[in-house]
Amino acid sequence: MKHAFLDEYSGLQSPMHRLDPRAKLVGLVALVVICVSTPPDLYAAFAAYLGLELILVLISRLPWKHVLGRMLIVLPFILVVAVFLPFFNKGGGSYNLGPFTVSAHGLLVLWNVAIKSTVSVLAVILLSSTTPFPELLKGLEKLRVPRLLTTIMSFMYRYIFVLSDELQRMRRARDSRGWSGKWLWQAKVIGHMIAALFLRSYERGERVYAAMLARGYDGGLRTIYLYDFGAVELGFVALVTLFPLAARLLAVG
Amino acid sequence: MHHRPAVEIKGLYYAYPDGTAALRGVDLTIEEGESVGIVGPNGAGKSTLLLHLNGILTGHGEVRIFGLPVEKRNLREIRRRVGLVFQDPDDQLFSPTVFDDVAFGPINMGLGKAEVAAAVSRALEEVGIAGMEKRSAYHLSYGQKKRAAIATVLSMNPDLLVLDEPSSNLDPRARNEFSALLQGMRITKILVTHDLPFVFENCDRVVIMSRGKIAADGDSFSILSDEALLSTHGLELPYGFYPVSRHTVPRPSEREVEE
Repeated sequence: MKHAFLDEYSGLQSPMHRLDPRAKLVGLVALVVICVSTPPDLYAAFAAYLGLELILVLISRLPWKHVLGRMLIVLPFILVVAVFLPFFNKGGGSYNLGPFTVSAHGLLVLWNVAIKSTVSVLAVILLSSTTPFPELLKGLEKLRVPRLLTTIMSFMYRYIFVLSDELQRMRRARDSRGWSGKWLWQAKVIGHMIAALFLRSYERGERVYAAMLARGYDGGLRTIYLYDFGAVELGFVALVTLFPLAARLLAVG
Repeated sequence: MHHRPAVEIKGLYYAYPDGTAALRGVDLTIEEGESVGIVGPNGAGKSTLLLHLNGILTGHGEVRIFGLPVEKRNLREIRRRVGLVFQDPDDQLFSPTVFDDVAFGPINMGLGKAEVAAAVSRALEEVGIAGMEKRSAYHLSYGQKKRAAIATVLSMNPDLLVLDEPSSNLDPRARNEFSALLQGMRITKILVTHDLPFVFENCDRVVIMSRGKIAADGDSFSILSDEALLSTHGLELPYGFYPVSRHTVPRPSEREVEE
């Protein structure tokens, strides 16, 4: 697996990429909250949310293939649940589709889940594909997310592939010695591997900690933040919160 | 002011929590500007000794770094002055980006934004990987990782560079370049390694550790050409290798660099 999986395309150059991660975090979370709290029958409001996001995708010059691909990864999980609702949910009148009966209320629930997950997933894609993960963490830290959490995520980002490489080496070593995985007694081997991986990670943790101490670590993980929250950032946050809010109010009107 | 050596260790004893004695009375003095190789079989206590140089481990006995006793109130200053580089760069490089890793020490020292940025680019420049600030350590080659690991301590402007197994896992070219890099750095150096030719190339003085003690201490040529001494302590030169007096063979840094 490639390391860039988490934040592929975050190294592109665009106005979206140059924004302070804090602005993107705050703005896009606000957009998601506004969207999720919108009643499902305000169709015009959802059109506005989606339109806004598509414009942001255009501005950030992300390849459409990448954006659609990412959406396809996530959406099925949500849709699988929702797609059965129109058949089982009762109320609000019904339509006959050949042999099936579809309830209007169920359809509305399906639409509700589908559009809200689409908007939310797009927001996440926009954020993760325009912000390198380390910058995102620093943004979170600046927004007062507990340092313990961001530190854990930062170590995860750094070591998850080191660990998976280690696991892969162990697997190769195991398979090279004739492990087939067909027999029950071989199951024990998996337990041993998990234990070995745990021990290795634990020991690595100790060595990393020693390396941190050696460079003056005293309990606080400090980093340097290279962004300024300026006029552009303010404008962005205003745009992605005020525009959907206005659209929503107008749609009610 | 009286004379203060870079490292002064007197009667150092250390046992691990499980009772294994790792150091049994180490005495060692290293002068400023020296380049010393510490060699010895596995389990001789070499790495344990290193961890005493900046107070990550503390045993019984006396350890002074540039005259400062290694104790709690001096740790901050000592850890700035002693740049300890661990064997596995994946332990040394724990931040999401190279910049953050190299900046880690300077930030802990309390430098400001601009000074930290300057220290980082200077350190990366010095080890020859300028411009890799934004890369993730995972994506560096092994040789680059080793360089980045050294940059993480150079950025703190240390007075003593301590390297654990600096040449391990490097291919011959990377090893050669690394050796030249080390020789270009005019600072007190301690190298712990099994790679005797590497020691011969880089150090004027060699210390053999064996069973938690200093077994021999002398200039590189006389120690490394003493086959009997080496084999007593489980060491041997690579087949076909015999050290010749330093002055007849140029070191990599003195050889002509081909482009």
